[in-house]
Amino acid sequence: MNTYQSAHGHHHVQLHALGDATRRAIIERLLSGPMAVGELAQAFPISRPAISQHLRVLKSAHLVVDRPAGARRLYQVNPAGVEMLRAYFDRFWTEALAAFAKAAEQEAEQ
Amino acid sequence: MFTAGFDTWWPRSHHIGKSPMTRALIEEKVGGRCYSEQEDGTECDWGRVLVWEPPRRFVFAWQITPEWQYQPDLAQSSEVEITFTAEADGTTRVDLEHRHFERHGAGAGAMKAGVDSPQGWGSLLRIFAEAAERG
Repeated sequence: MNTYQSAHGHHHVQLHALGDATRRAIIERLLSGPMAVGELAQAFPISRPAISQHLRVLKSAHLVVDRPAGARRLYQVNPAGVEMLRAYFDRFWTEALAAFAKAAEQEAEQ
Repeated sequence: MFTAGFDTWWPRSHHIGKSPMTRALIEEKVGGRCYSEQEDGTECDWGRVLVWEPPRRFVFAWQITPEWQYQPDLAQSSEVEITFTAEADGTTRVDLEHRHFERHGAGAGAMKAGVDSPQGWGSLLRIFAEAAERG
């Protein structure tokens, strides 16, 4: 079982991982189902080592996990990791909305 | 366009959940900064108030690129509109609309051939939605 950094800090790692268009596209491709590195490399106009590097970044961010399947390694999206990032956005928007709501309440009181 | 509407209670004692590392802060005026404060004391700008019409309507520029960098150019920023509506039962309905995502792809420096796309934000939303379904 992976242990994550405190959720308070990990979103920076995850945002960096998803801040790259190729890595977002890799995740989207993996949403259809697990894939081996070779299959992913065929789906993108970049080299296999470059795909591997992207997968390393995504794995460090806990956005994908890999497992052996025979001689291959299959990568798949890690829903728990994605959920952590979604929870960060929830907190962010909750805070931002609260700031506007406070202004709305203060005006209403006047 | 991404639009969300939901009912929310805003009691006077409302406290924003557990303390996250960043606080979202708003300077309460047109042109005001939208920024967050980190535990280490640094501030990160993420937007600017475009419309300030309490108690009902606020619009701010979302100045974060799909690569999570600050976007100083408002023409390359999306917009978020927030409206508060009092409901008959005493609750407050909050509507949030995040629009003009395509602006994040505009401008000379932003585009790389092929993979990069102004739909970076759409991609993120799809990832959140579909990963949750498969979780």
